[in-house]
Amino acid sequence: MKLASENFLQEASAALNAQEKVARRNLLGQFLPLARGSAASKYGDFDALRAHMKRVRRHTSEHLSHYLQQFEEAAVQHGNQVHFVADAEQLNSKVLSICQAHSARRVAKGKSMVTEETGLNELLLKAGLEVLETDLGEYIIQQAGETPSHIVGPAFHKSLAEIRQLFLDKHKLGERSLETASEVVEEARGILREQFLAADVGIIGANALVAEHGTSMLVTNEGNGDLCANLPPVLIVCTTFERLLPRAEDAVALQRLLVRSATGQPQTCYTSFYSGPRREDDPDGPLETHIILLDNKRSDILASDYREILDCIRCGACLNHCPIYIGVGGHPYGWVYPGPMGSVLTPLLTSLEQAQALPNACTSCGRCAEVCPANIPLPDLLRDLRQEESVQRIKPARWRHGLRLHAWLLRQPRLYQLSTGWTMSLLGWLGKRRGAFRRMPFASGWTGQRDFPAPEGGGTFMRQYAGRRRGARRG
Amino acid sequence: MADSVRAQLLARLRAQETETEPEEIARALAALGHAQAARAPHPDVHTAFLANVLANQGTVELARDRGAAVQAIGRYLYQRFRTHKLVAGNDPRLAAMPWRDGGVLPRFGAAEAGDAAALSYAKLGVAETGAIVTFTGRANPGRNNLLPEDHLVLVNREDVVSTLEEAWVRIRKDTQAGNWPRGIQFIAGPSSTADVEAQLVLGAHGPRRWHVILVGDTPTSAVDAARESLAAAPL
Ligand code: SF4
Repeated sequence: MKLASENFLQEASAALNAQEKVARRNLLGQFLPLARGSAASKYGDFDALRAHMKRVRRHTSEHLSHYLQQFEEAAVQHGNQVHFVADAEQLNSKVLSICQAHSARRVAKGKSMVTEETGLNELLLKAGLEVLETDLGEYIIQQAGETPSHIVGPAFHKSLAEIRQLFLDKHKLGERSLETASEVVEEARGILREQFLAADVGIIGANALVAEHGTSMLVTNEGNGDLCANLPPVLIVCTTFERLLPRAEDAVALQRLLVRSATGQPQTCYTSFYSGPRREDDPDGPLETHIILLDNKRSDILASDYREILDCIRCGACLNHCPIYIGVGGHPYGWVYPGPMGSVLTPLLTSLEQAQALPNACTSCGRCAEVCPANIPLPDLLRDLRQEESVQRIKPARWRHGLRLHAWLLRQPRLYQLSTGWTMSLLGWLGKRRGAFRRMPFASGWTGQRDFPAPEGGGTFMRQYAGRRRGARRG
Repeated sequence: MADSVRAQLLARLRAQETETEPEEIARALAALGHAQAARAPHPDVHTAFLANVLANQGTVELARDRGAAVQAIGRYLYQRFRTHKLVAGNDPRLAAMPWRDGGVLPRFGAAEAGDAAALSYAKLGVAETGAIVTFTGRANPGRNNLLPEDHLVLVNREDVVSTLEEAWVRIRKDTQAGNWPRGIQFIAGPSSTADVEAQLVLGAHGPRRWHVILVGDTPTSAVDAARESLAAAPL
């Protein structure tokens, strides 16, 4: 997928002005955290589960070469063809060559963030193949010619009315009402069912790879991924090595974390472990299966201080809890992965220079790290990326100089207290009449959406704090 | 291309790892132990299973034995589709059921596009998640779980385990002789989606209804107890 993170600020401003979409995101930003919170507390000791998973992950990454080989060996024994590819281009051309070897015409795809990352569809379409996304959310945005706005619900940004209009335009099915979510789902079901039955190749992702059995775990509610894995004669699993886990029990622990964090369900409708092509007297299933393991800079990340981002299980909880994501939505981030996890991953997988706005789109509120089932210290990783921007002189000069000035000031406590004290008094005096500022120099971005409150009397925090301590000592 | 990518990746990984004997890795892994299962909605494992099936938008029924199960299936098919037809895998347990007594006409094999109802005999039921487990193969082709409008599932009382870890102990036992199935499917509900304005809609791509029949001597009060435990802790 083409990177467009450079326009983050402009796109974000535009997104904040689309009132109806803002309102819908706010609803999601309330509903999804509630659902997650309730599911986590019903589970029991969710934090212990997170800590357990973290230990398993650490163990796995310390012995990754061992588990990778164990997985490969078992997968080959089951009859899979396992391919290692270095980058997006290699993955795409591998998939294309498999499709061509079977003279395939129709491809049915389950939800796969990896193939979003590599922009697979574009290449397959260019080569003349029919490619159909089968996850309902992915199908909707594919029809609309858009990109996903959320890693779990790719079409969360679309209203029912928009989807209805889209279907009326795209599906030539005559007069119909299509006014409820059920009717919309029903129509998509009918259309996609035919595609499943006619597809020559199925493509899916994997939520985990179980090293001991050489299986890939697929977690869905719709069952579309399972149809892709069971009906077409050829199956391609596109995945990455950081999905590896040693045992089936570890995949189970991941499943418990993932589902509750993603949708607040205790369990999705389908959790499947696929091992390879159909067995000798099996009546159904693919005749040929491929597993493509993509690196795409992940081995670089593993060797860096950002390695913990590879523990991400793509649950979307950090998006749902992020005030920036909820404020501006997924599209301004300009690539496949939005929100906190995306602000870490995008610069690492593409270029820090082009994605430099993303690590700065963070208030360091820390909600993402509080809920991340993989216990990834997202705010710390974002801070480190910001620092790297300074070191590499990627940040605009105005920012760098400003920060340097600020750092210098912080190291002069007297001067700092004096100058903040003056500024406060000045602001308090200037804003006395309205109690707030509608506009401020250098801060038009902030005041564009809201007023800046004028400071009330009483002095800076430091002054009040010192005063109270003196009072306490006397009392 | 692929070979050198593989070799390079492994070399890079190894360069960062401390060399460890496989036995040592296995010991370290075992020492990590397993995670805790989710809190059960009811102390009795069968009641907890039924409660979670209901929570997963499934419907439940009890059948004392296979004869009663056939009767239950017959009633279900007639009420839903005014039919006696059903597709089921070549499971010897299913082949041996007294179909004629319940007026049911099963076709044994893989589901086709037009099949309204399919029946599976589950390997396991898992109380923790309210899931049933099937292996793909002759006894239960994978598509039978996915294509029909309604998916009916029989599960024996003694095959209901309490946690997902216990399910894997059983799965390992059942697959010992190198007869690993192509797919192991944990199914917990009719297919669903929340992709349109986050509204839950049942029957996304797979079955619209999911009916679980627990076979064995379960007190009829278990279903009420399951419902009550759900009402006490709504999901
Ligand atoms: S970073 Fe954590 S919270 Fe965000 S998607 Fe990944 S696992 Fe979920």
